[in-house]
Amino acid sequence: MTANTLVNSKLVCVALNDKAQLAALEGAFNEAPYKKPPTQPVLYYKPRNTWSVNGAEIEWAKDFDGVDVPAMAVGASLGVVIGKEICRVSAEDALDYVVGYTLVSDFSLPEESYYRPDIKGKCLDGSAPVGPTIVPADQISNPDALRVTLSVNGHLRSNFELSGMQRGVAELISIISHIMTLQPGEMIAVGFAGDRVAVAKGDRVDAQIEGVGTLTNTLGGA
Amino acid sequence: MRHARIIFEGRELDIDISADDRITTAEGEVLNVALDSDQITWLVPVKEPGTIFALGINYADHASELAFEPPKEPLVFIKHANTLTGHKQVSYRPDNIDYQHYECELVAVIGKSGKNIKREDALDYVAGYTVCNDFAIRDYLENYYRPNLRVKSRDSLLPMGPWIVDTADIADANALKLTTTVNGKVTQDGSTKDMIFNVPFIIEYLSKIMTLNPGDMICTGTPHGIVDCQPGDTVVCSIEDICSLETRMVSEQEYYGDKY
Repeated sequence: MTANTLVNSKLVCVALNDKAQLAALEGAFNEAPYKKPPTQPVLYYKPRNTWSVNGAEIEWAKDFDGVDVPAMAVGASLGVVIGKEICRVSAEDALDYVVGYTLVSDFSLPEESYYRPDIKGKCLDGSAPVGPTIVPADQISNPDALRVTLSVNGHLRSNFELSGMQRGVAELISIISHIMTLQPGEMIAVGFAGDRVAVAKGDRVDAQIEGVGTLTNTLGGA
Repeated sequence: MRHARIIFEGRELDIDISADDRITTAEGEVLNVALDSDQITWLVPVKEPGTIFALGINYADHASELAFEPPKEPLVFIKHANTLTGHKQVSYRPDNIDYQHYECELVAVIGKSGKNIKREDALDYVAGYTVCNDFAIRDYLENYYRPNLRVKSRDSLLPMGPWIVDTADIADANALKLTTTVNGKVTQDGSTKDMIFNVPFIIEYLSKIMTLNPGDMICTGTPHGIVDCQPGDTVVCSIEDICSLETRMVSEQEYYGDKY
């Protein structure tokens, strides 16, 4: 585990929060095994073994035979940092509990199915770098107006306007705080561009939000 | 030896419990109190809870009851410490739901870090065993990362304890009677021998994906015999030679009080 991670005790990620992605997958989501589109935010955890930092090398994953996996992918999200214990708050009050913002990159195996919890894909050691710092909340007037970009080796690969999220930051905090009480330092990665970006061994990945910073990591295995 | 964490006479204590039920604190003080005394407040026995791995559909009979094919590999989902509560504490039933059931499960508590752990070495990484009740609210199931967090990650819905039994004291963790009672009536009567993927298998599986760390827990799933529970019910989950875990159900309003 990375000792100096910015995350305290919990990192909740929101999948399928890109309206364009939901629209594109609507047909599939009306068929088995999904049967109908999600009615609630689709949440997953990056557990503590995944937490890492700006500048860290991301280990290239191995399959169950110990062989390097053929493909990995990355998504980037605004990370919302909880400042005080938060239990069952309304969307109107939710942003009062945010102490700051940061970036979360989610390195994983390519997303193939959303039916079962993706332990194999999402729980790789060191696969959730967070940083570079936590920017105080008062420096971000409207988190839903931010734009998250991902560049690989200096080339722009993904550009996600958070106005395109199915649910905004305050609504997500409210919904999640009705499922679980959140503690100071816990984080929510509120939304990733629907199209995850393919990465290769040795790639440099820059996740960036203007006013929040640039989170840079390099894939290992080269 | 058994190990627990309690509050007694206003002090939070790590205790050892001997075979004759004598309680000794970490500082060597012998407590003159019976295990069933109301003077003891039981805390979650894992002092620094890490990642909680829980298995779904891990008993052959439970799999058939729910009309699923038994899985070809473990169905694992993750929970965090907000779900944990101790023995003789309360768990809540959300408002306006039809079906919330207990799941009595054997828990393996990880005692040392490891990655790529072989099945035959796996128990070296287990500090001990305890019991949990991995409550589920079936109304909230959706087919996205199922069982989704709304079903399985709610506050208080993973009672655990009262204590951890040393791994060495359990000759075969897959030969233990497992029962649940609701208000004194037996509703679940199974055995850990019906587990599909046992603890060594799961440790090998998970540690091929990621590093396991001390304080991580593996909740191994439940056999058939799950029933709806209501506020006011007392649910007792027991596994032979490990422990019995008692939980009182309350309403959402009673649980959250001022925050309701």
